[in-house]
Amino acid sequence: MEITVVGCGAVTAVGQGIDSLRAAIRANSSGLRSCARFKTPIYQSDILGAVPNGGLVDDPVFHLADLALREARAQAAATLDKFPPARIGFVLSTTKANIEALERLIDGRPCSESAQKHLQAHGLAADLAATHGAAGPVQTISLACVSGIVAIQQAAKLLQRDAVDAVLVVGVDCLSPFVAAGFSALRALDPLGCRPFDRDRNGLSLGESGAALVLARGHGEITICGWGGSNDANHLTGPARDGSGLVLAMRRALKAAKISPRDIGYVNAHGTGTPYNDAMESLALRSVFGDECPPVSASKGMLGHTLGAAGIVETIICILAAQEQLLPGTPRLTAPADGAPTQLLKEPRAATNLRHILKLGTGFGGVNAALVLRHG
Amino acid sequence: MANLVITAASIVTPDDLNRFQFGMRFGRLDSVCQLGLAAVEALGIDFASQPRDQVGICVATDNGSLSTDVEYWRRRNEPGGASPSLFVYTLPSMVIGEIAIRHGLTGPTLCLMGGSDGLLTEAADMLRRDEATACICVYCDVVSALAAETIHLPATARACAVYLQRGVQGLHVLAANDRDIIPLCAKLCT
Repeated sequence: MEITVVGCGAVTAVGQGIDSLRAAIRANSSGLRSCARFKTPIYQSDILGAVPNGGLVDDPVFHLADLALREARAQAAATLDKFPPARIGFVLSTTKANIEALERLIDGRPCSESAQKHLQAHGLAADLAATHGAAGPVQTISLACVSGIVAIQQAAKLLQRDAVDAVLVVGVDCLSPFVAAGFSALRALDPLGCRPFDRDRNGLSLGESGAALVLARGHGEITICGWGGSNDANHLTGPARDGSGLVLAMRRALKAAKISPRDIGYVNAHGTGTPYNDAMESLALRSVFGDECPPVSASKGMLGHTLGAAGIVETIICILAAQEQLLPGTPRLTAPADGAPTQLLKEPRAATNLRHILKLGTGFGGVNAALVLRHG
Repeated sequence: MANLVITAASIVTPDDLNRFQFGMRFGRLDSVCQLGLAAVEALGIDFASQPRDQVGICVATDNGSLSTDVEYWRRRNEPGGASPSLFVYTLPSMVIGEIAIRHGLTGPTLCLMGGSDGLLTEAADMLRRDEATACICVYCDVVSALAAETIHLPATARACAVYLQRGVQGLHVLAANDRDIIPLCAKLCT
């Protein structure tokens, strides 16, 4: 049974709407910039992937997710109109929901009832589902930085077992002092902004995004055709250095999609820009693809690490790549590190017959995920 | 497809934590991870005899890391600033990492927020798709006294777990209407 993408929406550091994302891919531009959102210099870096004019509303995660869902639903209207609300499911991916509400409550600042309700991820999911006419099953996934990929997987499973006829999938996380302070404490932020797979990379940059997909059964231009997950069982915050966990996830996804490594035409890496992640990911790609690694790029130099939204917004980048037959570049990459993937794309490049795409993710707690998309 | 069978079940509270030998590092874990690990330990499964790359871990929680979130943010202005070791536990899914590390499990994982209903459905689906041959299912929920005061929620600390396998003898054959792990554990552990 095929699961097809019938709508996409996104709000990111490069602007509101899929068209802004498409333009940024073509231009290989970055939305990372020095931003006065927080009281730096108590944090390690003020280079952020901030949504333009973001952070100004009472309930920012609801706002970003709502914008993304509106765009995705508009694209998918012809499909969604066929189904009653009870047959439309909803899957939310987030790591911290509206954590800003907790900051306000503890600091004694005003906090609206809805903002406080959305501190709980499932409260946020329930309100977004109700606002967007999804009265079917609701799931809330919080699996660190692979949440988005797993949310897409869970939506596909709901469709495959006929629990729903369509699913709204949304990923969202906002920039917050809570998260910035934590990554600063871990010394995980690059003061110069993230540079995935660069020889001088020195950490990640935080970003924010709302990103949404609408999935349904049937054959379409883009299908979700396989996924795989694994755990490193190694360390809570660092990846298994040999990449064995990510290798497992990739092999499971390829097996589920019933394809071989040579069928993959492009890999969108997790590519955080931290020294260990990118080295591990390079090793894992070599283990799976050997000397014939397909073109690889990473999108966090464009958007920052958007945490719970990352797997979804970066999957949307893969979808745009397939639709445009344009392999995205790796914004902010200057000089590839030793051992980086052989076909690491610094700049965008035209593709010929790009059919299968592999999206990768890894996260705290040793989690790994891989997703295979097919075009045509 | 062979029957899916629960071969072990457990319920734990904070009073049970000292029943198990976890080593020095255990004291540094947050209470969600401590309870989750204890619930898995109470299953009494010898994971060394299991195909560890084929054991999945599915976790459900209502309040996730909320208690650790409150502690981390309240203590951010202490000398030394925000604690990196507390920050690590401000993700609801960290209990999955702790379980995987302790038992060397490299199968697929899932973390659902918003209650225990549906956890067993997703674990069963994982097995039926052959993504794993067995699955540890854990419901774990903690609201500390400090979090309860801050967020105006009732304090709680409880965890339960089952081990779900395919086609073996066990405590209970999973039925289609066995969605919620909490009442099922209550029944099986009585």
